[in-house]
Amino acid sequence: MDLTEPVVLVLTSLADGPKHGYALAKDIEWFSGTKLGPGTLYGALSRLDERGWIEALPAQDRRRPYRITAAGAESLARHLEAAQRVAATGLRRLELGPVP
Amino acid sequence: MSDRPAVTSSWPARLLICYPPHWRARYGEELGLLITDLLDHGRPAVPMAADVLGGAVAAWISERGTGMTQRSRGALIAVLWNWVAFAAVAAWFGHDLGSYPTAIEAQQMMVSHPAVPDAYHLLMASGSVGVVATAVAAIAFAIDAAKHAWRQGRRSTFVLMAVPLVVAAVWLGGVRLLPFSEHTASGLALSVTWLLAGVAGIAVSTQAVVTVVKRSEFSERTWRIAAAAAAAVVAAMFVATGATITWGVVARTSLAHPGDASGWLVVTAILAVTTVRAVLALLGGRLEPAEHPAVA
Repeated sequence: MDLTEPVVLVLTSLADGPKHGYALAKDIEWFSGTKLGPGTLYGALSRLDERGWIEALPAQDRRRPYRITAAGAESLARHLEAAQRVAATGLRRLELGPVP
Repeated sequence: MSDRPAVTSSWPARLLICYPPHWRARYGEELGLLITDLLDHGRPAVPMAADVLGGAVAAWISERGTGMTQRSRGALIAVLWNWVAFAAVAAWFGHDLGSYPTAIEAQQMMVSHPAVPDAYHLLMASGSVGVVATAVAAIAFAIDAAKHAWRQGRRSTFVLMAVPLVVAAVWLGGVRLLPFSEHTASGLALSVTWLLAGVAGIAVSTQAVVTVVKRSEFSERTWRIAAAAAAAVVAAMFVATGATITWGVVARTSLAHPGDASGWLVVTAILAVTTVRAVLALLGGRLEPAEHPAVA
């Protein structure tokens, strides 16, 4: 499964505990500045649900929270480590300046 | 899991109807609540509606079970038959429009009822959409069918695929070369015979295509193209039927001597019936139960 940006944002948001749709949207907006639309957010949720990387919890006041699974956490960790290597390399090379 | 629709009155939430039924049954209520929450907290409705529609398209594309089930194959064939009948009648009706009403009456109607040319242009535009969608799907199907026939060594498939092209070439060649006439009995008989031959040719060509579709294997991508083309065709049929009804009603109320309405009524009835049948076939195919993962 390709980790698209909405998928990574949702997994990152769920990494510190279960959340329902609106809580996810607000949290993602807070830590990334990205305002995910409801269609995009639930598109990511449904793909992650289907993949088994998140799971639905019993609904609370008709709002269903989701939590990340072990497989989802492992995939997110791998993705973020790779992204961190890319980011570190890019920043280091920018500090060195362009190669003549 | 809940089969209830989202309990909300906001118009972006009503767009949930655009999602696949299985997806809507699983996530519809939650998504409806999220839309309501975001609207209540000041998120603008129009971009949200666009996002919901985009999500619906993605859900249809990624939905499991969009591959070839026997029922969805039958649904596409039903859409094809109805579209062919619709297009043949619409083409005949459009050709007949050239002499009815008179040019002067048509100009008077254009001035007093702008809806008439609008309806005509809408009819032409929707017809073009249907033809283009059919052509795109036909190319995708033909490539897959040819590959399958080549692997299986079934030459008869190639013969069947050639039938529509040969029939069209022969019939159009006859239109150019044969001595049609409305002024002699033999010329008139030839015209009627050739018209009936055209109808038979359309039926034979369609049956040949249906046989190819039934006996060949197609890729997931081709079926998705076919599903999108079928949706475009059905939408075009729907719009064209509405345009024809509008045109007919306005035109007939504008003419001092509208004459016999039976021709227009028959045409409108055929267009409406084929459209409804195509819509039902498409919905029936899409509602085909698909394999879905267990909901956590």
